[in-house]
Amino acid sequence: MAQYVVKRDLPGITPDALMSAGVRAKTCCSQMTSEGQPVRWIRSFFLPETGQTHCYFEAPSRESVEEANNRAKIPFAEIREVMEMTPESV
Amino acid sequence: MAFDTEFAAAVAIELALKRGLEEVGPDELLLGCLRAVSQFGIAQIGPWAIDLEALGVEWVEIPVRGGAKVAYSDAAVEVFDLAARIAKANGGGSMRVEHMLAAFAGRESGLMGELSLSYGITSAGWRAAVSKMLPTAPAVAEVPPAQDYLSPEEAAEALGIHVQTLRGYVRSGKLPARRLAGERAIRIRRADLEMLLEPLQE
Repeated sequence: MAQYVVKRDLPGITPDALMSAGVRAKTCCSQMTSEGQPVRWIRSFFLPETGQTHCYFEAPSRESVEEANNRAKIPFAEIREVMEMTPESV
Repeated sequence: MAFDTEFAAAVAIELALKRGLEEVGPDELLLGCLRAVSQFGIAQIGPWAIDLEALGVEWVEIPVRGGAKVAYSDAAVEVFDLAARIAKANGGGSMRVEHMLAAFAGRESGLMGELSLSYGITSAGWRAAVSKMLPTAPAVAEVPPAQDYLSPEEAAEALGIHVQTLRGYVRSGKLPARRLAGERAIRIRRADLEMLLEPLQE
């Protein structure tokens, strides 16, 4: 399954607002998975200095990632397919 | 995020679908939370026994999911935000259903407002009751530390082989062993035992 990055700009967001968004993302992903669209939130990186957030998802399509974020009511700037590279994979 | 939060959200989404709503609102979230803490259709919050049946919530069935797409409403997002603030203010950790229930304290609109009137719920009473539902720090179970060194008998038993076979491995050098200083007894490192197990070749 493909992986996607969801880029967001969330300047000034508080840790608890991030937690709230995380809970919403997680519950919407499990709901979509049970509907037959297996969207999985893998992890997110938050850059406190700039307020940028990169959230990585595994999903059958870009559209399903977009839908999960819309359902969770988390704004985003763009969604792009990514290729994963880890120390183990090279 | 604890499992019960996920269950509460699943119930809330299911309720919104059943009600033909386009969004999951605070009322559905509240019902989902109550369902998550309920037993036999009763959510006991402090002195208040809230009857889920009377609120139209299926308490026998586990939510069946699927169907139309529903998003969280802006008001539902506010409930999650407040619940996260409460969770963070109370030691961080993950968001639990009790934090979500606490977020409804003092809410005058919607279902919480109706419940407050019909059950005589006060904001402080609700918060006190919900906070008592939080689990206290779980007792750390005493797990005996894994034994690093085994006697030949113990090692043989761990592998399910005869002790003579194991001694044969040690003699042939297949299995490293150590001798206790100045004694005849030998000891085998558990990690070495595991290295003896090879995966089946294709």
